[in-house]
Amino acid sequence: MAKTEIKVGFGDQVKAVSVELPKGEAKPWDADAQLEVVGKPIPRRDGALKVSGRAKYTYDVNLPGMLYAAVVRSPLPAAKVVSVDTSAAEKIAGVKAVVQVAEKGDAVLFAGQDVAAVVAERPEQAWQAARAVKVEYEQRRFVTRLAFAATPDAPLVHRGAVEERRTEGHVTEGGGGDAQGNKRPLRPMKKGDVSKGLKGATVHEAVYETQVQTHSALETHGIVARWDDDEHLTVWASTQSIFSVRDELAEVFDLKPTNVRVHTDYLGGGFGAKFGASAPGSRLGTIAARLAKQTGAPVKLMCDRHEEQVCTGNRPDSIQTVKVAGKGTALTAIEVQSIGTAGIGTGAGVGRNAFAVYTKCPNILVDSSDVFTNAGPGTAMRAPGHPQGAFAFELALDELATKLGVDPIELRLANDEHPVRLWQFEEGAKRFDWKAKRAESKRLREGKARIRRGCGVAASIWGDFGRPKAAVVTCSVLRDGSVEIRNGVQDIGTGIPTVLAQIGAEVFTRPLDTIIVRYGDSELGSSVGSGGSQTTSSVTPAVRNACEDAKEKFIEHVAELLGAKPADVSWANDGTLSAGGASITFAQACKKIPGESITATADRPATYGNHPMPFLGAPMPQIAGVQFAEVEVDTWTGVVRAKHVLAMHDCGRVMNRLTCTSQVNGGVILGTSYALMEQRVMDHDVGRMLNPNLESYKICGAADTPEIEVVLTDVYTGANNTGAAGIGEPSTIPTAAALACAVFDALGEPVRRLPMTPSRVLAALGAVPAPKGLG
Amino acid sequence: MNPFTLVRLPTLDAARERVSAEPQRRTFRAGGIDLLDRMKEGLDAPDELIELHAIAGEHGARMRGIAATEDGGWRIGALVTLGQLAGYDDLPPAYGAIKDAAGNAATPSIRNGATVGGNLLQRPRCWYFRHSDLLCLKKGGYECLAVSGDNRFNAILGGGPSFIVHPSSLGSAVVALDAKVTIAGESGLRTIPADQLFAPPTVDPTREHTLAPGEVLVSVDLPPALPGQRSAYHFAKEKQSQDWPLAEASVRCTVEGGVIQDLRVALGHVAPIPWRSKEAEDVLEGAAPSAEVFAKAAQAALSVAEPLEGNAYKVPLAQGVLRYALHFATSTPLPA
Ligand SMILES: Cc1cc2nc3c(=O)[nH]c(=O)nc-3n(C[C@H](O)[C@H](O)[C@H](O)COP(=O)(O)OP(=O)(O)OC[C@H]3O[C@@H](n4cnc5c(N)ncnc54)[C@H](O)[C@@H]3O)c2cc1C
Repeated sequence: MAKTEIKVGFGDQVKAVSVELPKGEAKPWDADAQLEVVGKPIPRRDGALKVSGRAKYTYDVNLPGMLYAAVVRSPLPAAKVVSVDTSAAEKIAGVKAVVQVAEKGDAVLFAGQDVAAVVAERPEQAWQAARAVKVEYEQRRFVTRLAFAATPDAPLVHRGAVEERRTEGHVTEGGGGDAQGNKRPLRPMKKGDVSKGLKGATVHEAVYETQVQTHSALETHGIVARWDDDEHLTVWASTQSIFSVRDELAEVFDLKPTNVRVHTDYLGGGFGAKFGASAPGSRLGTIAARLAKQTGAPVKLMCDRHEEQVCTGNRPDSIQTVKVAGKGTALTAIEVQSIGTAGIGTGAGVGRNAFAVYTKCPNILVDSSDVFTNAGPGTAMRAPGHPQGAFAFELALDELATKLGVDPIELRLANDEHPVRLWQFEEGAKRFDWKAKRAESKRLREGKARIRRGCGVAASIWGDFGRPKAAVVTCSVLRDGSVEIRNGVQDIGTGIPTVLAQIGAEVFTRPLDTIIVRYGDSELGSSVGSGGSQTTSSVTPAVRNACEDAKEKFIEHVAELLGAKPADVSWANDGTLSAGGASITFAQACKKIPGESITATADRPATYGNHPMPFLGAPMPQIAGVQFAEVEVDTWTGVVRAKHVLAMHDCGRVMNRLTCTSQVNGGVILGTSYALMEQRVMDHDVGRMLNPNLESYKICGAADTPEIEVVLTDVYTGANNTGAAGIGEPSTIPTAAALACAVFDALGEPVRRLPMTPSRVLAALGAVPAPKGLG
Repeated sequence: MNPFTLVRLPTLDAARERVSAEPQRRTFRAGGIDLLDRMKEGLDAPDELIELHAIAGEHGARMRGIAATEDGGWRIGALVTLGQLAGYDDLPPAYGAIKDAAGNAATPSIRNGATVGGNLLQRPRCWYFRHSDLLCLKKGGYECLAVSGDNRFNAILGGGPSFIVHPSSLGSAVVALDAKVTIAGESGLRTIPADQLFAPPTVDPTREHTLAPGEVLVSVDLPPALPGQRSAYHFAKEKQSQDWPLAEASVRCTVEGGVIQDLRVALGHVAPIPWRSKEAEDVLEGAAPSAEVFAKAAQAALSVAEPLEGNAYKVPLAQGVLRYALHFATSTPLPA
């Protein structure tokens, strides 16, 4: 097959490479491509609908005759179900059905687990009935504290096999060995020999802790289920993966996948917790469909905020012992030993930061274990493992830098090998005025100022997980002159429909408002789940191929109209099509389309390039990012304010500067919130979450948000035909780490535990003894 | 939440009598922010909410207004919202503490509904109290679950047998400003010093105030300002908006001939009642304002603290907050 030459790289480091493009693949938009619409800061199409309340979310779907369901949940963290008495609940006015989800003898493993469900005409009747279901339990010993759960004295959480939930789009770390008690090792990441690297080096070792964070999407988990007949089910789901909802329901109810239709017109956030028909800790999707079947009426089941907090997933906590060693500016050894709990679930690893960013270090071991506790299951959450790993490792690195007497940036530059990240560190340092700011924080620190300032920096690592063949896109040129793009992808909130329209507008050189995008429906062609930051890079290349194919057919149609050869048709920017002296407008050519439309369907091939650096030896590109943070600390109260974050990110070729910047803003805000306030608080005596709300579970608001400066450093990877890569997850990885490093700079003492609340800051300042561990 | 009836009665007496006849089933609604929170959580299930906003006539006007009184003081009606109070420009700066306390509570939207009376009478935010499945001392249980549980936000002063902190931000301000409150009861209106409105848990751990069931808080009465009176309020929060303070301080004083006089210091969110600090007052009365003496006073104020296992940090934090309030009240420059 013929080779095609493309220009790849970034900044002034661009080079030509020749690639063998898979059959049917459009020539990639490379460094030389001059694009008119793609890349521009175009507002999302549904912005006005969302801010005016006209966008209808799953929560807003109301069908004629619809019933409301509610789930009875265990108030105990560990128990055996002795009996379930539904008789009182059945007598409540409006109640249509009461079903058991747990049977007599079943084990309850966490407070919040499904036990029974009710369905009624009105939501308040359903809640009342749920309270009237009488469940008798035999209490069992339980453990919710991580540090204790890892000891041999702790009660065993799982007596039977552990159910593993896989989240599509994530390269999971996977189980690495057999469980011992509640502790189960994950596969270690290892290179070289750490003990060798420690010899003769300056060593820093300390323990770092992170908290459980909950996804807390604005729209809670929920579904509306309607049986059209015995074989056909239609659901409206608040999901980030339409097709995993479809497949799960098809499997549970033994239906053909094509007989299950899933709609997600708008989604109020997912962050990793909304894959499949249900939630990580509740079978709410299948419960709703089961109740709908039983009652013969559509059923809506939405979680309330309390349920959302306890049974729909979370980011696991961690206790990480980090050892890092260096000579001069060279890192010689890195070792991370970590435990974390994903409750009854799995996946409490700490990501790839310690292993895969400062790759010049020859000796690295990252060894982590899941520890089971009687709490709601953890699940993928925006860059699973990474923010916790980045926090511990980057702060440890700064502590080592202090011991070595080197500047934190110098240490990072000396050990990172990713050319884009090196460039981001250097450019960012200039833009941030790093040296002057660090000098000022030193002055304030040494003068024991009341208000201190501090700066920190941390790195991000992610891969371009764009998936082949997953998205099948149809493009049609319609007789009315519009171009329609169809694909069943959901919009998790990134603005993907707007981006798809931009691709269409670019290929056809047509006005953006003539491009129709249909999405959010499983009938519109298969697509990817929005996880792993892969949606844009999975779907846009398929859209481009479909558009290019439809355009080719359209040109054939025009050539026929003009009595010319397709190759002779020229396409002007205003839509005039001409050949051999004759011409026709785009609109006229459309009107003459035989039948309704000219249509083409296409997908995207596997990733075929990885410039400038692959991701951990895999065939895909590695995505680079660096964030700089500045904090202000009040030493009288211990209050930390995040003042400024400079976020330098690689996102391949940026498709839309506005929606992409918005992703980075969201990542930084989430990271700031994680760094300073978010925290699931458990009472370990009763095994319950004490803050299952959005009041004492604190999420940073406008007044807590730093000034965010986003710099998108375009990189032409040659990985796919649009050049898109991911940004959602990489943009939240380094924020908490950079803020922690900044607090260290401000105080001269590290706060080795997230969130960095006044309590911990005052302890770091020596004003009080360090508070008891999270454990 | 249980179904309920909203009852609108046009007179103060009718409203009062309606509730006192069956206080188990009926309660007043002012802004409804705290009340509905509790009902949604299943902590309270009244059948009838008696709408205080429906009260008309002279009493209604008094409850809704902010007005100068004949003796030279000011009266703030119980139905005045926190937002109205915070934005009320005519209230002299001598009373700045209460305006600042009102203006920094909760969020703008809550402040537009929350009333002065409801704020002072709201129930505690302790997460053991607010969790419907947990039976704590406040709800008739045997023990304060915060003692052995997670008590990071609980009392460091005056705790026992309950260790809640009083939730009202106006609380420390009204105590520092030496305000009184007017209450409508069976035998008409009566006026008591504000600090007698609040009841420590030693009296009855299930209650935080001294109103009898069915009694209505009518107004907060600020005494005439002393010549040269100044006041200040300060707080520290984990989250800058939509969060309760970790500690607050309100200070009233005059500075005459270079020395502090007429000082009243009250701390909020550190004790089950707004906490008057005589210790701080003793250090400062008659002293010349300075960063050093403020630090000493703050230390004295907290020297009587008895923190629980998880809230020792509130001791230095409350000291810091009080130091700020003292600097602001006396216009003493902050140290660098
Ligand atoms: C997120 C959040 C943050 C908050 N932060 C703060 C904060 O920082 N500081 C702070 O102080 N508050 C804070 N609040 C609490 C809020 O200010 C109170 O809930 C509010 O002031 C209550 O006033 P209300 O008028 O709505 O009272 P309601 O809910 O109507 O009443 C409260 C109680 O008082 C009774 N009551 C009300 N008025 C009278 C009266 N005149 N006579 C007799 N009984 C009466 C009612 O029966 C009820 O039991 C916060 C609330 C939220 C949700």
